[in-house]
Amino acid sequence: MTANTLSQQSINSPLLRVSNLQTRFHTQDGVVHAVNGISYHLDSGEILGVVGESGCGKSVHALSIMRLIQIPPGEIADGEIWFEGRDLLKLSENEMRHLRGRDIAMVFQDPMTSLNPVFTVGFQICEALMLHMNMTRKQARERTIELLNLVGIPEPTKRIDNYPHQFSGGMRQRAMIAMALSCEPKLLIADEPTTALDVTIQAQIIDLVMKLQKEMGMSVMWITHDLGIVAEMVHKINVMYAGFIIEEGLVDDIYDETLHPYTKGLLGSLPSIDEAPGTKLVSIPGLPPDLIALPSGCPFYARCTYRQDHCREERPVLETVNANGHAVACWRWREI
Amino acid sequence: MTEIISEDQLLTEFAVREHRSLWLDAWRRLISNRTAILGLVIVAIFLLTAIGAHFFWEYDPTVDLDYNAKLLAPTFVRSEESDQLHIFGTDKLGRDIFRRVVHGGWNSLRVGIIAVSISLSIGGILGLLAGFFESTHLNGVEQAVLTSLLGLGCGALPAWIANQPFQALLFMLLGLGSALFSTFMAQSPYLRKVLFGVIGMAIGGLLGLLVAPLVGLVCAVVGLGIGIILAKPISGKAFSSFTMRVMDIILSFPSYLLAIAIVAFLGPGLEKGMLAIGFVGIPVYARLARSAVLSVSQKEYVLASQSIGESHGRILFRHIVPNILSPIIVQATMGLADAILSAAALGFLGLGAVPPIPEWGAMLGDSYKYLSSGAWWAVLFPGLAIMFSVLGFNLLGDGLRDALDPKMRL
Amino acid sequence: MSQNKRLLQVKNLKKYFPISSGVLFNRQKRYVKAVDDISFEVYDGETLGLVGETGCGKTTVARTLLQLYRPTSGQILFDGINLTELPENEMRKIRSRMQMIFQDPYASLNPRMTVGSIISAPLDVHTQMSRNEKREKVQELLQLVGLNPDFVNRYPHEFSGGQRQRIGIARALALNPDLVVCDEPISSLDVSIQAQVVNLLEELQNRLGMTYIFVAHDLSMVRHISDRIVVMYLGKVMELADRNEIYLRPQHPYTKALMSAVPIPNPKKARSRQRIILQGDIPSPINPPKGCNFNTRCPIAQDICFKEEPVYRELALGHFIACHFV
Repeated sequence: MTANTLSQQSINSPLLRVSNLQTRFHTQDGVVHAVNGISYHLDSGEILGVVGESGCGKSVHALSIMRLIQIPPGEIADGEIWFEGRDLLKLSENEMRHLRGRDIAMVFQDPMTSLNPVFTVGFQICEALMLHMNMTRKQARERTIELLNLVGIPEPTKRIDNYPHQFSGGMRQRAMIAMALSCEPKLLIADEPTTALDVTIQAQIIDLVMKLQKEMGMSVMWITHDLGIVAEMVHKINVMYAGFIIEEGLVDDIYDETLHPYTKGLLGSLPSIDEAPGTKLVSIPGLPPDLIALPSGCPFYARCTYRQDHCREERPVLETVNANGHAVACWRWREI
Repeated sequence: MTEIISEDQLLTEFAVREHRSLWLDAWRRLISNRTAILGLVIVAIFLLTAIGAHFFWEYDPTVDLDYNAKLLAPTFVRSEESDQLHIFGTDKLGRDIFRRVVHGGWNSLRVGIIAVSISLSIGGILGLLAGFFESTHLNGVEQAVLTSLLGLGCGALPAWIANQPFQALLFMLLGLGSALFSTFMAQSPYLRKVLFGVIGMAIGGLLGLLVAPLVGLVCAVVGLGIGIILAKPISGKAFSSFTMRVMDIILSFPSYLLAIAIVAFLGPGLEKGMLAIGFVGIPVYARLARSAVLSVSQKEYVLASQSIGESHGRILFRHIVPNILSPIIVQATMGLADAILSAAALGFLGLGAVPPIPEWGAMLGDSYKYLSSGAWWAVLFPGLAIMFSVLGFNLLGDGLRDALDPKMRL
Repeated sequence: MSQNKRLLQVKNLKKYFPISSGVLFNRQKRYVKAVDDISFEVYDGETLGLVGETGCGKTTVARTLLQLYRPTSGQILFDGINLTELPENEMRKIRSRMQMIFQDPYASLNPRMTVGSIISAPLDVHTQMSRNEKREKVQELLQLVGLNPDFVNRYPHEFSGGQRQRIGIARALALNPDLVVCDEPISSLDVSIQAQVVNLLEELQNRLGMTYIFVAHDLSMVRHISDRIVVMYLGKVMELADRNEIYLRPQHPYTKALMSAVPIPNPKKARSRQRIILQGDIPSPINPPKGCNFNTRCPIAQDICFKEEPVYRELALGHFIACHFV
């Protein structure tokens, strides 16, 4: 059983259903297999955490959903992305442009570069409102002030006319979130939105997104490398490695019933704040595989302490292990 | 429980990327770029013909004259007027244009290389030092050398006024003294300025008096100023700022006009043209080198070398120089094209190569008058030669810029 | 591991960076008070964690300790020698005893030098070893940090971030230093690689017995590796205590907030805990607030906090704090 069948089991048709998505990049050194056939679904109102290290394909997969992959060198080789009954990969660029920002919005990692420095923050948010919601300039301005207020920017009537450089990093990320939420999207994709921020500001942003998600009822996809951040905020988690989903499930299942050796390693790598002194961290030796020359067997084989010869020969597929949809791609999950 | 492979065993399986030298990588990127290859081919043809012609095809322009074969059109058939084949035609003195274009290439190459060497060595070193010392604390020796140099540079002015070169040397010594006795009267900088000002005034005034009273007066005033400047041993920041302001002054002149003015001052000639073009190019390299050094000095590996306790010389030559080579190489390649073009412009105006030396610009200048009488070949071929050589170096420079891209493989 | 001997004493250290400095017209007027009057001690063989957010001055402290920046005022006593008054040539000798590991493994290794020459640079400067001796030492160091000794002739771009950080560690260990200042050595690495590097650092300390100053913004990792922790905010020390004190009995409101902002990789615990979410941003170190530096974001600030700067005092044995209300 794979994730595909899982999605068919769900009663309502999900907001987003990704099946067998494959994204590659053609480079001078060869074909980089960034996303290698991933399938999952996201219901409306759900928060999904996509977790993995750099180069695991988590950002590329999000950009594929937004169809923001530069082609060439990129290529979405195969797969379907169903969003509200439409396959995004079959839409025209024009239809896609209408969808972006209005139905699916994205917040990027670096708040310093994702705002245009030559326009005021207010102008940039107003633009999006006028484009997608057909508002007049006056309406858009009022709505922008409301939005800035909503994301917790003090004195929004003054701040609306500020330029991005007058905002701190945390404030810019708030402004980016305000922009993303301006058209009340059904899905918010947040691509490591707090990585560049300080911990106390990160806590503010997480708190804000959780609050807004409850108020607006949208779905959120939170992409991160830090299993700690997503623990308290998401419902479901996809753990990605080398372009594959190697474990997925409800958040409690992932943390309490961790199955994949990689997920175990990731959790062990994090020092816990209440550990006993002298505890040694569990580290994952070695490096992720080269995405140009993917091993034919399990992608985690080279770093796995539980490996057997069979793991090198045949690639494991996601196997559902409980009724909540907890699934793992490992040959030996029963034994370890 | 299943058997577990030890972590240490897995650690040793650490893979590294394929071993590749940075330069080889850059070369690979260069030859995978079509326009760069075109540039490379043009440059190669240019270099081969120029060098080949100089060494293997003797040509004495002073005796090359054939009034029977004046302004012959290009042809691949032997004609009655001349016993030779003139595939590019001949010019107003009956000289074979092909031969002169090929030999002109040698001269252009010489101008390019020497002019760029002048700009690059002087500008590069100034920019390197300016950039490096801007953010570094000077040590005693460096301060002494730089302050002496400042004294020498400033002293050149009264030395020139009084026509006494050794005056500049005395000011250099004053600078050296200032740096060596930097702690002397350091508590009262004002008095120190007065002291050095008086010494400077004495040097300039007394020596100037030997020439003429007025010269003595002027030199005394200038000497006072220099003394005050030298009273405070130069800091790295001041050195950088001083150097770059001088560069700004040179840059504020239109470069062609400045080159023409220098050649007009020195007198025409290919060698003087090289000097002029080289001088005009100094600020370009100084600015480039300085900005490259400033960005490299911010890198943590420079900080790391400081924390190890490496000396300034070692930091400069092991860490900074190798890492600013890429933009300098690109600029020098483009600079060759620029120098060839400038030399042609000077030659065209009659300020560069002196006739009858074959030089593309001078050939154009000699022949454009005959364009109206239909002798297009006398202008076309030297013009094409200029165009292609400039294009070749520019394409190659562009290609190098992409190939040596600082965004390195991570 | 003796806990009594002081290896390093920092007394009233200040480092101000002048801004808007002009040569001709505008004279230096304003300052970024990156480090503003801080004092602490480091004991032989321990790991002192230095934690704080952007702009708190932790990296400046690290660099000033090694005299990469000359301090504006204050004393740094290393083994009883005051480094701030030492001329450069004598400082150079001391540099062999204190080394640094840098934050960005991509920027801290010269891309034009081989791994061998990068690691042997300290040996070139401070020892008279022959070429062969150096080569042997470099290979030994590579093995020590878990890299293949055959990699001496490789260039940094052939390695991944974690491997490069190991090369940086090997360079820092080349002269058997007494003190290693680790300036956010793991913050630009992936989570699984972070654990590798932290384990390596701990293992090396156990084997070689040197002292670490571990600078980071991640309180959980600092707590994992440190014996004592200094919490900095806007150029000042807010709290200094043993790591368990900091965890079990944090006294300063900023430390409390920082503790509660640390993500807990456990959904049940994470959901049940009460988070303190600080309002607002960190003020600019050019214009720090009057009174207590933390007053703009402090949940318990009162009038006195806006008027008087709290005294940095010893609350209990080895537990220092700067707050009016503790």
